Amino acid sequence: MFNKKLMTIPGIKKLIIKISILAVIQALSIIAEAWFLSRALVNAWMLKKVTASIYPMLFFFIAFIIRYLITRIENQITDNFSDKASNDLKRALLEKTFELGPQSVAKLGSGQIITIALEGIDQIKNYLNLIILKTLNLAIIPWIILVAVFFVNALSGLVLLLVFPIIIYFMIILGIAARKKSDQQYLNFSKMSNNFINTLRGLKTLKLFGLSKIYGKNIFRVSENYRKSTMEVLKIALLSTFTLDFMTTISIAIVAVILGVRLINGSVLLFPALFALITAPDYFLPLRDYGNDYHATLDGKNALDHLTSILNTTSPAAQKQLNNFNSWNQQSTLKADHLSFKYDKENNQGVKDVSFNLTGNLKVGIVGQSGSGKSTMLNLLGGWLQPEDKDNFKINGEKTDSLAQFAWQKHLSYIPQNPYLFSGTIAENIAFYTPNASKDDIKKAAESAGLSEFINSLKDGLDTIIGRGGRGVSGGQAQRIALARVLLDDKREIILLDEPTAHLDIETEYELKQTMLPIFKNHLVIFATHRLHWMNEMDYILVMENGKLVEQGKPKDLLKQSGKYRQLVDEIGGENNNA
Amino acid sequence: MRNFFNKDTWIKPYLKKDKKLLFTAFSLGIVTIICSIGLMFVAGYLISRSATRPYNILIVYIPVILAQAFGTGRPVFQYLEQLTSHNWVLGVVSKLRQRLYITLEKGADFVGERFKLGNLLGVLSDDLEHLEDLYLKTIFPIITSYVTGIIIIILLGIVSIPYALFMFVCFAVILLVMPIISVIIFGKAKKYEKNLVANNYQNLTDATLGVTDWMISGRKTDFIGEGTKNDQKLAKSRNKVDHFEWNRDFALRGMIGIIIVGSIIWGNLYLNDSQSISNYIAAFVLGVFPLLDTFIPVSQAMENWPIYKESVNRLNGLSNKLDKAENNDNEANFDNNINSISMNDVSFKYADDNSAILNNISLNVKQGQKLAIIGPSGVGKTTLLQLLLGSINPTKGEVKLNNVKVTTLKNNRSNIFSVLDQKPFLFDTTIINNVMIGNEQATFAEAKQALAEVGLADYIETLPKQYDTDIDESGIKLSGGQRQRLAIARILLQDNPIVLLDEPTVGLDPITENNLINTLNRVLKNKTIIWVTHHLQGLSTMDEVIFLQKGTIQMDGSPDELYKNNEKYRKLYQMDQGIEN
Repeated sequence: MFNKKLMTIPGIKKLIIKISILAVIQALSIIAEAWFLSRALVNAWMLKKVTASIYPMLFFFIAFIIRYLITRIENQITDNFSDKASNDLKRALLEKTFELGPQSVAKLGSGQIITIALEGIDQIKNYLNLIILKTLNLAIIPWIILVAVFFVNALSGLVLLLVFPIIIYFMIILGIAARKKSDQQYLNFSKMSNNFINTLRGLKTLKLFGLSKIYGKNIFRVSENYRKSTMEVLKIALLSTFTLDFMTTISIAIVAVILGVRLINGSVLLFPALFALITAPDYFLPLRDYGNDYHATLDGKNALDHLTSILNTTSPAAQKQLNNFNSWNQQSTLKADHLSFKYDKENNQGVKDVSFNLTGNLKVGIVGQSGSGKSTMLNLLGGWLQPEDKDNFKINGEKTDSLAQFAWQKHLSYIPQNPYLFSGTIAENIAFYTPNASKDDIKKAAESAGLSEFINSLKDGLDTIIGRGGRGVSGGQAQRIALARVLLDDKREIILLDEPTAHLDIETEYELKQTMLPIFKNHLVIFATHRLHWMNEMDYILVMENGKLVEQGKPKDLLKQSGKYRQLVDEIGGENNNA
Repeated sequence: MRNFFNKDTWIKPYLKKDKKLLFTAFSLGIVTIICSIGLMFVAGYLISRSATRPYNILIVYIPVILAQAFGTGRPVFQYLEQLTSHNWVLGVVSKLRQRLYITLEKGADFVGERFKLGNLLGVLSDDLEHLEDLYLKTIFPIITSYVTGIIIIILLGIVSIPYALFMFVCFAVILLVMPIISVIIFGKAKKYEKNLVANNYQNLTDATLGVTDWMISGRKTDFIGEGTKNDQKLAKSRNKVDHFEWNRDFALRGMIGIIIVGSIIWGNLYLNDSQSISNYIAAFVLGVFPLLDTFIPVSQAMENWPIYKESVNRLNGLSNKLDKAENNDNEANFDNNINSISMNDVSFKYADDNSAILNNISLNVKQGQKLAIIGPSGVGKTTLLQLLLGSINPTKGEVKLNNVKVTTLKNNRSNIFSVLDQKPFLFDTTIINNVMIGNEQATFAEAKQALAEVGLADYIETLPKQYDTDIDESGIKLSGGQRQRLAIARILLQDNPIVLLDEPTVGLDPITENNLINTLNRVLKNKTIIWVTHHLQGLSTMDEVIFLQKGTIQMDGSPDELYKNNEKYRKLYQMDQGIEN
């Protein structure tokens, strides 16, 4: 359960020292507690007056309070530690997400990142809270108690000492079998619960086919089968708790009986006997605590592993910085020089050996079938992926290995199929790249992006809240807001677009196109698309196939060549050719 | 609280089921606690009695036996208790799952979603787990602790009234006062935290889904700020609760310390008549210790009540809403001979909206005709399909199949309409099973034939397990186009006269889209088709095209007519086809 990665968390050594000291004090207070309680009980047994027991009772109570006060203090300092540690981990995760950019979301899924940042971090915190405290308690407390028992009554001490390895032995034997089974069942459970959700999701479909009523019985049957298999597993899984409990209680009973016999013999007195009996349960307590919460700590441990693996992925970052690139204009040049990138070492997806030259404010179309490497090209040009380690690009003659650098990215804007709208006002969304823009500039940008009619129809105008929890915005308007972003920041001379209109209805697409075309004129536009009418607007076309750049040139020239581009255009135009 | 339980239909009725098993579970729980107290009690007595050095070991024979019995009994009974209670609870949960399914089944609809599916279903299934925990971690420990507490007080009452009274007061604090305070404090904090967590969730979603924009904006500090906005408030609230919890547990343990000291004093004062009576002092005092393990967790068990309550409320709310939702019109008989489906001056307005989403729509589709409906998102295309299916009632006008109102068709509808939408749902089972859902009476050969018609057979036969390949998790991942083809095969087996297509090609690339449209045209040649779409690809094979705008029909006609007579249509068509003008 203990994870080596734990030792790398800052502050953990200090914590271990603190907790160890507290655990020693706690063990001593447990001994004191038992000692004075035994005193008081012996006094009472000897029919002394209650006044004779005042001090023992007082000291017992103080020791008892100190013991649990230490628990309270331990809770607080571990919590402070794990609070800080989990906060740091969350920050690190967010920093990594920022550095990884879209790649993190593509690899892990946005849902996963959010789950780790919320639930995962909580589980890690819980794990940190439990693991250090319980491990140290187990490592320290029983042994100090044992020494005290040996001092007072060696035979009881021997019984307690001997039982310990027996418990461990049984725990291991049963534990291995049971945990395997219970982990398996844990999987079964997620399976069944997924199956249940799955069926609920499919309700609409089942109803559509007139099967929904029959399936109700199926749910019950599956659930009952799960119950039966769970019960089989529980019978074994609970055995490990059973063994621990059984060995604990039975050894207390044995100690009691042995002491009883020795008392009758007169070889031992009541005081040491009571002392041994009272401390026996406390001797076993840390072990029982350690055995509990297995799944809680397991979840936390897995979450920590997962998080560490994310933190260890390398983020795209250029080795050679562009020092002279200040803006993109008519004279600027971008050269891709035998550019290659692979997603995995094993498979061949990615792009291979791509070279091209672009000069000035061009409209460049990247076309190709799904999976041909269009998006990868766009990601490389945006600096969201790190290409092979060599000089891949030349910008205005300056060499660099990768575009993953702010000097390049601050001149970019990116418009995907569904531009993401942040929760906030329309104005805030438009000013996303330039949070300090003036209201007037924002308004102007909105107008040029064709948003006037939409904004005027809103009661709060530019201050209308959109995004999650706000007003719904149609696909066409979202594209216009993204366009306004581009217009507001005049340093962003390069626009990357990934199928921005494919999902829009034809009329919206038509209107949007009329707005987009004039904006494109004084920008470098790199446009991945499948739509024929967009291809016709481009100055230059890159045709991708299986990760390779198979053709490039002006669209009209390419059409005449009846090569790959021609073939693609015919296939997309589809309906007129084949039925 | 009482109000809550009066209206509840998700906990109370199930406590009355399998009473014997439930009673056994409770009894075993109580016996377990008694055994652990008994062990320490007997052990204390045993050594005290032995210390008086009886002449014969047989004098302490009974305590020796009892010590062994309690020592063995505690783990054994606990083991049995856990098995019985789990068995009972899992049995109840099976019934609850079925109940949830039946409840949701009433509200499920052919088209559109009454519930925001993904999220809500996850929440509901979590709710069932909460109920499981409610029984196992709250109801069971609380009832066993309470009953044991009462038994102890009664037994002590027989021994000594003052001692029983003292214990009663202490128990009341531990089992009643503290748990109630816990519930109040936790309830408040959980509510406050829930909002913060929801907000956090939203901020993180913004941060991650918009990460590309964040990255090129260079606003790293803002990005991290966004993701950790509520953390401090949340940590503060959690810290407050944690502090309360630590202090409470400390106080509860202090109470146990007081009980122990009280017991010693009581023993000193009341059990001092003779040596044989004073032997019991250690017994009573040691018997208090097991209460640390059994009574203190009661407060913890109550903590989660606010979460459980929310779950139970949600389930109750759901069943209240949906149990009423079933309408009671008589079911019309229908013999699958469809002549036409028509809308007559139909308007529709959602109850929560200000204005109608559809206004005075009339259309008539004859058997075998093919109609396409185009319009921007949010214009009411899906609502129109729901009206045609009779899933919702028009605010004005009528939707009729031949001369029968569609809303009266009910269960017959699954023999009249087939629906293909953007994301057809495939079950986590084999390919062939997924197709057979279309018609469970179909033969394997028929299902195979359907898959061949939609052009999937060749691909499937290259798979190692062919038609028995599992979809998704354990098997293959199908592409968007393949999933649609599978769903079409299902519809072919179902063989209903009217097919509704709800933007089935959204999100596919144009080449895949073309191929799919060609397949649809081929295999559904003889069916009546109503096709909602967003662009013009594939429209040339339709008999009629309708453009919806602002809730009304804006253009209407056959594709050829429209191309000839309508300039707007012509412009759109030229752009769509990439024809330069």
